[in-house]
Amino acid sequence: MNAALLLDAGLCLLILTAAVLAMTGRDLFGAIAFFIVYGILIALAWVRLEAVDVALAEAAIGAGLTGVLLIGAWSLLRRAGVSEAHELSHWGLRLVAGLASAATTVVLAAAVLALPPGREGLAPLVTERLADHGVSNPVTGVLLDFRAYDTLMESIVLLVALVAVWALTPASAWGGVPGMRQHARPDGVLAMFGRLLPPIGLVMAVYLVWAGSSQPGGAFQAGTVLAAVWLLVVMAGIYDEPPISSGLLRTALVAGPAVFLAIGIAGLGAGALLAYPDEYAYGLILLIEFTLTFSIGATLALLVAGRARRAA
Amino acid sequence: MSEFLLLAALFLLGTIALGFLRVHWGPSRADRIASAQLVGTGGVAMTLLLAAAGGNSAIIDVGLVLALLAAFAAVAFVKSTSADGAGDPEENDE
Repeated sequence: MNAALLLDAGLCLLILTAAVLAMTGRDLFGAIAFFIVYGILIALAWVRLEAVDVALAEAAIGAGLTGVLLIGAWSLLRRAGVSEAHELSHWGLRLVAGLASAATTVVLAAAVLALPPGREGLAPLVTERLADHGVSNPVTGVLLDFRAYDTLMESIVLLVALVAVWALTPASAWGGVPGMRQHARPDGVLAMFGRLLPPIGLVMAVYLVWAGSSQPGGAFQAGTVLAAVWLLVVMAGIYDEPPISSGLLRTALVAGPAVFLAIGIAGLGAGALLAYPDEYAYGLILLIEFTLTFSIGATLALLVAGRARRAA
Repeated sequence: MSEFLLLAALFLLGTIALGFLRVHWGPSRADRIASAQLVGTGGVAMTLLLAAAGGNSAIIDVGLVLALLAAFAAVAFVKSTSADGAGDPEENDE
């Protein structure tokens, strides 16, 4: 038995255990704790599969944002008098959710099994064509160049999700501020945390998006780190969330997709929608990546903050 | 050398598995979230070992992101234990 095989087998076993315990646990908070653990282990699994770009995204989403989102939701539910999962949903609803999840798993498994064995897929083609373009990380090349269309749509889908959350705002709070006003002891641990970590997170985000052009990294991972540190600033009570009617905020939200779309339309001059002229490809891709990072960060942070709850 | 590093990572995976016991049994919520943090710490250490074993320095970035963000769930938990859910337990320690 070699160590790599044992490590992979052990990792798979722990991932399955965490998933089962998260679903079957009787305690709602315990289920959330296992879901966070599951996210960390999945990031490790992506590392083992040598998909470091995906591992970065999973580490930022699974360890950073999802934990804050779920624990925040749990806290609100508990204050609303609901403490356990069985009080939340009818068994029929859970049955439908279970069947839908099982069906997704079956479809995914069928898709994986249907892949022709022993073929490299599109990887050689991507490596061959990447040389003509601006970036040397194949994942960024696919996301922002070969399949830029998908990425543009995804950045707009995030905005639509935020619009859906905002649509839940009651008329009395419309244009107001999301969440409760957070406060902390000014010289306490939390306030110190809220001042110490955000600058590190900011550097980390800039590094990730910059690194994305030549090695694993990119706008989504960097945007998630930005969103997480902004949430920390808010949770530490240092700054309040901006009102959702703020023009500056809305500009930040649409800047990424708008710049992406504008450059894509300008590509019509170079021959096709979303085609970059060869000599400017690197600069244009970086411009899109940086503005997308900013917008993705703002969108994710506001998705976690939820609908407006109080007047500005 | 890389075999030794992978064995060390396997040992860390074992400590993560032990952490599962506390996440599952608690008994208090703080026990559960603290052992979830322990899994995060073990995960950071594992990324560093895997980066060295595979000679891929980009894996260190995964460890950096985990190290920066793994504590956020604990912050959210600590806030949820304050009186109005938006405060900080230390505020009462005047």
